[in-house]
Amino acid sequence: MYEVLMFDGGVHKIDELLDLIADVGGFVLQRTQVQVMVTLTIAIPAEDRPLIEKKTAELGGKIVEVPLAGTEIAVIGPTLGRHHMPHPICDIAEHLRRYGAITIVMGLARGRGRKTCQISAAEKAIIEEYDAAIFMLGNFKECVTHEKIDLYKDIQIPVVTVVGPELESLPHCEALVCGVGRKVERMRRSEEIAKLEEIADRVKEVIDKRRKEIEEDPLFVHPSEVKDALEGMDAVQECLRPAPVVLHVDGLRVKIPYKEHVRELEELDVYGRKLKEIATISDCRLGDSTIIRIKTKAEVEGKVR
Amino acid sequence: MEFELEGTEQYALESYQWLLERILMDMGISTMVEKVRFVIRPDQTLFIISMRIKHSGSKRPVYDIAEMESKEGGTFITIKDESYAPRLISSLWRLYGRERVQQLTRLEVFVEDVPMEELADMKLDPEEEVRSQLLDAMWRLLPEGLKLRNEYFNDNVMTIVATEHGMTVDFIEEAKRVHANMIKGPEDD
Repeated sequence: MYEVLMFDGGVHKIDELLDLIADVGGFVLQRTQVQVMVTLTIAIPAEDRPLIEKKTAELGGKIVEVPLAGTEIAVIGPTLGRHHMPHPICDIAEHLRRYGAITIVMGLARGRGRKTCQISAAEKAIIEEYDAAIFMLGNFKECVTHEKIDLYKDIQIPVVTVVGPELESLPHCEALVCGVGRKVERMRRSEEIAKLEEIADRVKEVIDKRRKEIEEDPLFVHPSEVKDALEGMDAVQECLRPAPVVLHVDGLRVKIPYKEHVRELEELDVYGRKLKEIATISDCRLGDSTIIRIKTKAEVEGKVR
Repeated sequence: MEFELEGTEQYALESYQWLLERILMDMGISTMVEKVRFVIRPDQTLFIISMRIKHSGSKRPVYDIAEMESKEGGTFITIKDESYAPRLISSLWRLYGRERVQQLTRLEVFVEDVPMEELADMKLDPEEEVRSQLLDAMWRLLPEGLKLRNEYFNDNVMTIVATEHGMTVDFIEEAKRVHANMIKGPEDD
């Protein structure tokens, strides 16, 4: 089982750490270098963590836990209007990034209002491409408990709901955080930061649960192993978009157009098998990207059809 | 600033009070508001906000802030109090149209075909600008989904009633009642 960690340190002798990561069979997921400081997001086999920690201490760096690394999370508000969007949603998205998640923010086309709020099938399909979704629903208890819950009722990925009023529970969601409603300024007070922490904790729990479910019938390969193979592709190397390959809990998003590269992707070699044999490759709803969902061991080895 | 809250959900009332305070503070007009009344009933989808503005001094006549000279074909104005210049020019534009108001320099204006006596009667209302800012604050505050809105206003009170679909007679009556109560002023409340 791979563990995702973040190394924070200097460039001095960094090659020794990179060699060690390669030796233990790990991967560098992301490397950010600013002058002499380096931040590495790495995936390593869990049993080799002490080796990496020892080497990190030797180099004078530090290892930081990034429990949400390798996930892509959508933070969704009823609309992109100034009434719903800027402060709480961006603050939540930004806070989750500190724990290693890649986050996107999204507003629904017709999500505002009480009786008139709606979500379209296309919006649901876009949201379902992510590992988890956070829905921000607002200040009115009556509106949240009676109408807004329908927005995420049929969504097939774990949903964390964030609302203003204190509620004991809400149906159809995996977790609930109360006390974050509409805001007209950034969340920077200590009690607001505590709320952001609470949201991050709930998301971590939801993702951990998802990972445990996957472990019961493990994936044929870890997404980071596919990422390693994908990075050899010319199209990925030439891609100028930030983070061309994004890890998901059960797959990846590659930011190259599906139609042009599907054949190449299908034939990609991963441990002696073609990618199409071990994963389902599909077009991304948001355009110019490809979604890869890795099959489980049982599916690949033919025990499940 | 004094708040009166009425409604079915305490959290919603308190959070909207806080939101309005922050919006007014951001716009730098907190001191302009004397009293605010909220009626929020999410179960009926009813949102009423009524605001009473503080009087910030009386209207100033044009001769107080500018020198005027009658010329052939119009009136020549030299503005003495610079802080009133934008308000005076925009009032002139509104009354006589841009074609007839020539701004010669920053503080010199020539108004075509308007006698000096007519301009001397004009008064500038410092609250006009505040009112438009407060209206902006109220629009920022109103929930985005409540698209049906009715406004009531007089010199110093503005009331907006908002709902989602179907503005009922009861809502309008209630808004008018809130508006009338706010107009009565502090001594009659």
